[in-house]
Amino acid sequence: MTDGHLFNNISLGGRGGTNPGQLKIYSGGILWKKQSGGKAVDVDKDDIVSVTWMKVPRTSQLGIRVKDGLYYKFTGFRDQDVTSLTTFFQNTCGITPEEKQLSVSGRNWGEVDLNGNMLTFMVGQKQAFEVSLADVSQTQLQGKNDVILEFHVDDTTGANEKDSLMEVSFHIPNSNTQFVGDENRP
Amino acid sequence: GDSRSSARTSADLVAYKNVNDLPPPRDLMIQIDQKNEAVILPIYGSMVPFHVATVRTVSSQSDTNRNCYIRIIFNVPGTPFNPHDANSLKYQGAIYLKEVSFRSKDPRHISEVVQQIKTLRRQVMARESERAERAT
Repeated sequence: MTDGHLFNNISLGGRGGTNPGQLKIYSGGILWKKQSGGKAVDVDKDDIVSVTWMKVPRTSQLGIRVKDGLYYKFTGFRDQDVTSLTTFFQNTCGITPEEKQLSVSGRNWGEVDLNGNMLTFMVGQKQAFEVSLADVSQTQLQGKNDVILEFHVDDTTGANEKDSLMEVSFHIPNSNTQFVGDENRP
Repeated sequence: GDSRSSARTSADLVAYKNVNDLPPPRDLMIQIDQKNEAVILPIYGSMVPFHVATVRTVSSQSDTNRNCYIRIIFNVPGTPFNPHDANSLKYQGAIYLKEVSFRSKDPRHISEVVQQIKTLRRQVMARESERAERAT
């Protein structure tokens, strides 16, 4: 096996926005390093649980879910990278990447999916956005139908974004049957 | 007249048809796309669009630490003066995004955003209620 693929302009996305860096995908796994040094993500091949592709504006996003429930999102791939990496993941890890679609309709109603640490708001079977429950500092039930998620805030919050998400709330009408009396409510 | 205009609004208005119709990613900050009538929010490093017709109210406030906060409340069913019945019947079982709030480092940007959302929302609502009246 040759030494895999190296990408120079791949951003890691998350709570605080995105960080540009360098991503290496090789036979042993995945290694991402922040451009300015510092933060690194190192995933062993055997810890990868699933791989997803999603087309986002003007580029593609790679989602890597690992065994401990964490989920990494890398953005900045060209179409030809998607093709070659799909083959790579199939051959090296025996994982076939799934395709996800991004919702851009602008609707505010849909479904909430919980998977590992991630809460995904789905609109018309497509993903509108995802948040990590690991970053939620507090959840509150307001009235009978509203759930509020508050996010951790510290000095580094929003280090590289101008506007930082603080709070999200969902309204779950009585007609919803997904989360009735379920301790897993979002 | 907001209540009358909501019969159509968010149920049928679509911000973007294709992923690549979104404006080029710029800084991770709240953006308003006048042409597509969308409010675009930075959530977890992604820009997430919402049609302005889904917005019910928007407000901002600042604290003593020069932090500025913006709160956007979306339309949900069962809100007084905003019957969403056509919508909620059509999408029974749906969960609604009700509210988001952001902290910003730039008060001027936030006050611009609040004004832009309010103006755009008013324009769209006026147009939609006119359309509804013509239809009857």
